[in-house]
Amino acid sequence: MQRREALRLLAAAAALPVLSRDAFSLFREVHEQLAAAPALKTLNPHQNAMVTAISELIIPQTDTPGAKAVRVNEFIDLILTEWYDDDERQRFLAGLADVDVRSRDVFGKDFVDGSEKQQLQIVSSLDEELAGIRQPLDLHREGRFAPTEKQFFYMMKRLTLVGYYTSQAGFEQERHEHIIPPRHAGCASIEEEAT
Amino acid sequence: MLARLHYALLLQQRSLNSTLPAAQATGKITIRPHSIVHSVIFDRSTRKATGVRVIDGQTREALEFRGRILFLCASALESARILLNSSTTEFSNGLANSSGELGRNLMDHCMGGGATGLIPGNEDKITLGHRPNGIYVPRFRNVKEKHPGFVRGYGFQGDGVRQNWQRGAWMTGFGADFKHTLSRPGPWMFTFYGFGECLPNHENYIELDTQRVDAWGVPALKIHCAWRENERALLKDMTLTASEMLSAAGAKQIEPFLEDNAPGLTIHEMGTARMGRDPKTSVLNAHNQAHDVKNLFITDGACMTSSACVNPSLTYMALTARACDFAVDQMKRGEL
Repeated sequence: MQRREALRLLAAAAALPVLSRDAFSLFREVHEQLAAAPALKTLNPHQNAMVTAISELIIPQTDTPGAKAVRVNEFIDLILTEWYDDDERQRFLAGLADVDVRSRDVFGKDFVDGSEKQQLQIVSSLDEELAGIRQPLDLHREGRFAPTEKQFFYMMKRLTLVGYYTSQAGFEQERHEHIIPPRHAGCASIEEEAT
Repeated sequence: MLARLHYALLLQQRSLNSTLPAAQATGKITIRPHSIVHSVIFDRSTRKATGVRVIDGQTREALEFRGRILFLCASALESARILLNSSTTEFSNGLANSSGELGRNLMDHCMGGGATGLIPGNEDKITLGHRPNGIYVPRFRNVKEKHPGFVRGYGFQGDGVRQNWQRGAWMTGFGADFKHTLSRPGPWMFTFYGFGECLPNHENYIELDTQRVDAWGVPALKIHCAWRENERALLKDMTLTASEMLSAAGAKQIEPFLEDNAPGLTIHEMGTARMGRDPKTSVLNAHNQAHDVKNLFITDGACMTSSACVNPSLTYMALTARACDFAVDQMKRGEL
C-alpha cells in the first residue's frame, strides 16, 4: 500500500493535503538511495542541467539550502526511472524539451544557456499558464489525473517540492519537523510549532 | 502443528502482534517463512486434502507438507489461485469448484469520491506531533429510506488538517517568497473521502493465465474486474454529499473530486470463494469449510458474499476465529 499511496500522492490533487507518515518514510528511503546511486539513469546531462536549474528557481538557496543543495535533480531522476510509468516519464521529458523550444523561440538559445533573467521569464510563463488552466477544470475531475496534473510544470513543481521537503535539510532546517516528535498536542498555539 | 494447518498465511500486522505470539507460546507451532504454496494435494479415495506442494522461495526446492486439515489464508486472490492451480480429474476447473464459483464474484471497495474545503479561522492554532486519528462517517444511504439511484451505500473517512508545503503545487509562484510562504502552515482544510460497497458480479472474476507464470513457475492470474453502474453511482453521490456536508459546516472553496481508481487500489479484494447454503452456487459453507472437500477451509476475504462498505479485516479475523472453533469441535467429535 505504501508504494501505491505514495505514487497516488505524487499525482494527487487536493484530496491529500498532507503527506502521511508512511509516504514520508517512503520518500525518505528514496533520499537514502541517492547516496548509493549517484549516477543518473534517465536524465541525460543536458536534461539534468535543466532540471537542476528549474528546481533551484522554484526553491532557491536563501538562509536555508535550496533544491540544488539537497540534490532534488537526482531525486527526480530516481522517481522518473523507478516510479513513473512510461507515459508519465515521456510526458515529463517532452515537457523539458518544450522548455528549450520556448527559450530558443524567444532568446535564440537553450534554456540553460540563458541568463537568470531569461530563465525567470520562461519559468514565469510556465507558472502563469498553469494558473490559467487550473480553474475551474480540475474541480470536476473524472479521470485519474485532473488536466493540471498532466502539465509538465505541475509535475516539475510537485516533484521539486516533494524532493525538497522530504530531504533532511528540507524537513529539519526549513520546516522544523521531527521524525520523532518531541511532544503531542491536539490544539497548540502556532508559536509552539517552530520550537 | 498449527503451522501445518496454516500453510499459506497472510501475515497481517495484527497476526504478528496477537495470534502468532499466542500460538508461539503454546510451543506447538513451527513457522516456516519463504514457503510458496504451489497447490493443494487431493486424495481421491478419501476425497480429502492431504497437504500442500510448496516451493522454497530461497532454494527453489520442491517440498510437500501433510496435515489432517488444511486452512488456506493466503488472501482472496492467492487462495483462489492455489485452488485453481490444484485441478484433479474430479475437479477439472479447480479444486473444490463443483459450483464453478471459484474465482468468481471478485469485489473491492470503490473509493475516491469526496470533497475538500477550507475551514476559515483558527490560524493561530495547530496540532503538534503526528495525529493518529481521523473521522469516520458511517453509511447513511439506503439505511432508512430507499435511494432512487442506487442500492447499498458508502462511508466516509476524513480529517481536518492545516495545509503544509504540498499546497505549493497548486499555488502560483516560485522563488524565495514562495519558499518563505511554504515554510509556514497554510489554512485549515477538511476532506471527506468515500469508500463504497461493491456488488458481487459473476463477470468480475479471475482465471489462471495459460501464457504466463510467476517467478516460481506458478501460473499467473488474469483478473477481469470493472466497476459497474451501481459503484459508479455511489462514487458520484459521494462527491455530492461530501460537498453538502462541507457547505453545511461553513467550509469555503469546496472542491468535489471523483477519482477514476481501478478495482484493486483499495486492496480489499474479496469474494472469490463465497459462502452459501447451496453447494451448487457457492464454494464454502457457513463455517468457511469447502462444500466439496470437508477438511479444507478458506479463512480470508475469499469467503465474503457481499462487501459492505467498511474495512473488512476485523470481519475476516472474526470469521477465522469462528471457523477454527468449528474445526476444533469437529476434530474432537471425530468428524474431521
